[in-house]
Amino acid sequence: MTLVMVVDDDQDLAEMLGIVLTGAGIDVDLVSRGDEVLEVFRHNPPDLVLLDVMLPGLDGIEVCKLIRAESMVPIIMLSAKGDTHDVVLGLEAGADDYMVKPFRHASELVARIRTRLRRTNADVLGLLTIGDLSIDVTAHEIIRGGKKIALTRLEFDLLVALAKEPGRVFSRDALLSEVWGYRHSTDTRLVNVHVQRLRSKVEHDPEHPAIVMTVRGVGYKAGVSGAS
Amino acid sequence: MNRIVKKVRTSLASKVIVSTVLLSLGVVWITGSALYSQLSAGVKQVNLETSLAEARSSFFNAQYEFLLVDGAKNSIITKTVQEIIISSTAVSLNQDRKSIFLSRISSVLDTGSEIEAIDYTTVTDELDVTSFPTELRKRVQTSDLVEYQYATVSYKNRADADVLIAGRRIAIPDSGNYEMYFVYSLTNQNTTLALITKSLLVTGLVLLFLIGLITWLVVRQVVKPVREAARIAQQFTEGDFSQRMQVESSDEIATLGTAFNDMALSLESQISRLENLSRVQQRFVSDVSHELRTPLTTLRMASEVIYGQRKNFDPTIARSSELLVAQLDRFEGLLEDLLEISRFDAEVAVLEPADFDLVGLIKRCMADLLGNENGQQSVINLYHATEQVMIKADVRRVERIMRNLLSNALDHAEDKPVDVTIISTSTEVGVGVRDHGPGIEPLVLSRVFDRFWRADPSRARVRGGTGLGLSIALEDARLHNGELDAWGAPGFGAHFVMTLPRIAGEQISGRPIRSQPFDYPQTN
Repeated sequence: MTLVMVVDDDQDLAEMLGIVLTGAGIDVDLVSRGDEVLEVFRHNPPDLVLLDVMLPGLDGIEVCKLIRAESMVPIIMLSAKGDTHDVVLGLEAGADDYMVKPFRHASELVARIRTRLRRTNADVLGLLTIGDLSIDVTAHEIIRGGKKIALTRLEFDLLVALAKEPGRVFSRDALLSEVWGYRHSTDTRLVNVHVQRLRSKVEHDPEHPAIVMTVRGVGYKAGVSGAS
Repeated sequence: MNRIVKKVRTSLASKVIVSTVLLSLGVVWITGSALYSQLSAGVKQVNLETSLAEARSSFFNAQYEFLLVDGAKNSIITKTVQEIIISSTAVSLNQDRKSIFLSRISSVLDTGSEIEAIDYTTVTDELDVTSFPTELRKRVQTSDLVEYQYATVSYKNRADADVLIAGRRIAIPDSGNYEMYFVYSLTNQNTTLALITKSLLVTGLVLLFLIGLITWLVVRQVVKPVREAARIAQQFTEGDFSQRMQVESSDEIATLGTAFNDMALSLESQISRLENLSRVQQRFVSDVSHELRTPLTTLRMASEVIYGQRKNFDPTIARSSELLVAQLDRFEGLLEDLLEISRFDAEVAVLEPADFDLVGLIKRCMADLLGNENGQQSVINLYHATEQVMIKADVRRVERIMRNLLSNALDHAEDKPVDVTIISTSTEVGVGVRDHGPGIEPLVLSRVFDRFWRADPSRARVRGGTGLGLSIALEDARLHNGELDAWGAPGFGAHFVMTLPRIAGEQISGRPIRSQPFDYPQTN
């Protein structure tokens, strides 16, 4: 069974989330305080964390940073604020995705969770290259010059999406549907923030990217393989 | 020149300096002229008296010499005349040139006599005697006294010159009566006068310059604090309230500074109080948002779970669950709109511009809305000249405006087609949404953008608007520096026109689409 950790101080909402997720065949671990998350997380590592922003004890953004510091587990932030500032803060702290309360449909939340949990890119297997990086899709590893680079699952997916079609220029909308599983959304902040984070991990010089290239006014494309 | 005029008009210091210098120029001019006329009169007087005294003595000397040789031989008389001419033309120290003119008036012998008397008529220095003033000659010929006159005479070998001429009648023995003239050059006198003029001019100019300089120094003392105050006031306008004037003395300027600083302090505290209020307000809105949304989320999920099971319930409970879900949707919409309005009111709404194709966005909105049609037959006709209209604007907001206008139009179209027109210029883009429904009364038209205001309260709400849609749409358009215009007339439907700058935030200079449609009969 898949295990999702739900961190929310609102007991009723947490319970409701539990009912919905259990109904979808997902096990749920409920935590109500920010400062308790890490302990539970270490004791019983979940497959995904559903994290509210406003938490007693420790702020959701801080919790997100702490989890990120020791795990690449997918994190979806739950925010009651749709304001750019909070969303970007959450994404920069390491969240893969976010959902603004109230959700349109509970099914949408379940769908997002499943997207983040699915085995990445079952359609491609074996080795891919992008720039001077090689991607072992099967082993879920990024290697540069014999050294592994640790990426979150989402960052990995983003890199694979670009690498498997080297010539293609991906619009932000295309990446949103490819990587995040959004049907149609115009929220390009998700893409922008994650591209930045990905670059900070894989680029030699994030100011002059050679792996994830920007195509001005359109979107992104993979850097030329073999080039450094 | 224009720049100087502008500078004088805009700078207090320049204004004071220029007027002071101009007034001083007048004073210096008047005193200078008075000084000059006195000095020159004095110089001329002294010169005249010296020359005349010398002339008198020369005439006396000549007469005396001629008396001594009266009755002597012609050769002796001739010698005497030559001596007199030489001695009289000898130049004294401060004289430039002295010429002599001797001319016979009448002979001692009767005309027709066999012996011709010797004529001693003489002119020195190539003087042109025809340029002598005839009036002076007449006076000399008839008078026994020394006569004089200022004149300009010509020389045969030199340029004309200003001179003083002194003349007297003189008798030469055995020859006749002569006019004898001494011509005194005035060059030295004129040089002196020119020197005086020059000194006066230089003194005047130096004086003017010094007056200007002093004025500048004095004015600067007054103007500097005023400029400082203006600069600080400017910074206040730009939002920097930390600036204060420096108060160093206890004069009027210091009073200005103190008053200014008091004002600054009061303004700063007022503004920070207002800012604080605004922060509290924002904080409250944000808290309300959070506190409301969490239970709403729970409610929604619970209602969905119930709704999902409705087939297992009896019909009234099943219907209740449907109503529950629908009303939660409405409640949520209302909450969103209220929050958005409060963001506009608190002026914290932020524009997030991006480049996108407006035509594509409108097509997407149309597809969404028509897909949700509840059996209505309305059709939307889209008119656009180019396949794409790229603009830089906040996608979310523009989409919200378009959805609102389109769903309003569909609500009121009464199954007649809705026309959507896109016209773009180089600087702005206009989108007109026209329905051919019952139209809007003039009274109603003025209130369509009011919050929670409904044209017809009895109307069924097909799309369940919140009553805030058009107010938000207007705020959204204005946030882009754009505008939203409404037009309507009974029987002619309604026409809503959104005008946006091609690049959000720039000014719009006109309306690519007029809100009054062309098929409406002109009344004026």
